[in-house]
Amino acid sequence: MMVQCVRTQRWLASVAMVCLVGLSACASTPRPTGILSQAEHAVREAERSKAPQYADLELQMAREDLDDAQQAMDRKEYVTARRMAERAFVEAQLAEDKAIAASTREAADDLRESIESLRDEILRASGSR
Amino acid sequence: MKKQIGHPLRWLLLSLGLFIIAMSWGCGARPEPIALEQARTIYHQAVEDQAVMQYAPGALRDAEHVLKQAEQAWQSDQNAVEVGHLAYLTEQRVAIAHARADNKAAEADWQHLTQEREQVLREARIQEAEQARREAEQARREVEEARTKYEEATKQIAMLQEQLGILQAKVTSRGTVLTFGSVLFAPGKATLRSEAFHNLYPLVPYMREDPRRTATIEGYTDNVGADKGNLDLSQRRAEAVREFLIKNGIDGERVVARGYGEASPVASNDTETGRQQNRRVEIVLPK
Repeated sequence: MMVQCVRTQRWLASVAMVCLVGLSACASTPRPTGILSQAEHAVREAERSKAPQYADLELQMAREDLDDAQQAMDRKEYVTARRMAERAFVEAQLAEDKAIAASTREAADDLRESIESLRDEILRASGSR
Repeated sequence: MKKQIGHPLRWLLLSLGLFIIAMSWGCGARPEPIALEQARTIYHQAVEDQAVMQYAPGALRDAEHVLKQAEQAWQSDQNAVEVGHLAYLTEQRVAIAHARADNKAAEADWQHLTQEREQVLREARIQEAEQARREAEQARREVEEARTKYEEATKQIAMLQEQLGILQAKVTSRGTVLTFGSVLFAPGKATLRSEAFHNLYPLVPYMREDPRRTATIEGYTDNVGADKGNLDLSQRRAEAVREFLIKNGIDGERVVARGYGEASPVASNDTETGRQQNRRVEIVLPK
């Protein structure tokens, strides 16, 4: 019975150790300054791009998540801060890429329209003779 | 005794074992979060998309990298929040790949349309050149027609000139103007000379030929003598020519006679030759 008790205690001790290691890992989460500044840069870049015009929704999401990341940083909730910064980073990139695609598409559509009206004009010009 | 002590211990061990099993195996058997499954599906759909594979391989690799992180995170510590977060990042990365592929496709369209526009413009230029050629041809024909008409008119004038023995015949903006000099009247008189018949008669068939033809007869003098007398003389001379035509069956309505006296000299009145040129009757045949 004694032996069994000791074994039980060892079990409990190892479980506690695992928990402690897990907790210490949480406590020692580094400040995610790198990704946060990357996210800030990405959002600034997106704001300077055509995103405000063509991908405002995505840009807005990036702004909000960046804001959340900064607030979490202030509260020293570094895991949340990292996640929010990572979100803001990709969202800003997406906003920029979507905006580029939309403006290229618009240019192509405008060109197509101009060709069509050019064709109409030519047709009218030749038809009137 | 063995039974008494062993019983609770066995229970303790059993429950502890169950707890450990629940911790290690129970968690491992937990179904994957829906978010991870969804991210994987979205990623694989993008991989199967020819355009995305072709145009945005880099962005797709980024997405794959995050997806693997999400899968590893699930296998190692099953932190549902972190896995959900990484799954979200995967979806965003896939969306970026789609956006880049869309952009490339739009760029390709734009390139193609630029060429098309060039082609349309080329066609338009060809058409314009063709139009210009047609217009030039039309203009050439018009010039040719005008030249033919002019030649005909010149011929007609030459004929009239020959037949009428007139001083001068020319085409003006008012029509053909025939100028007769001293051949028609004796000096100071307003009755036609008998020889004048030969000169004027060709006008009669000319007027008869087309009843729409009209004639205006204008009398002029030199500046010798009183103005009023000259005006009166030129008027009576013009009337005499008109009377001649009426007598030969031309409707008086079609012939107007006017005397202008010394007005509108065609030459200087200072010389005899000039005065002779100014004493004249002009017959205007409108076009």
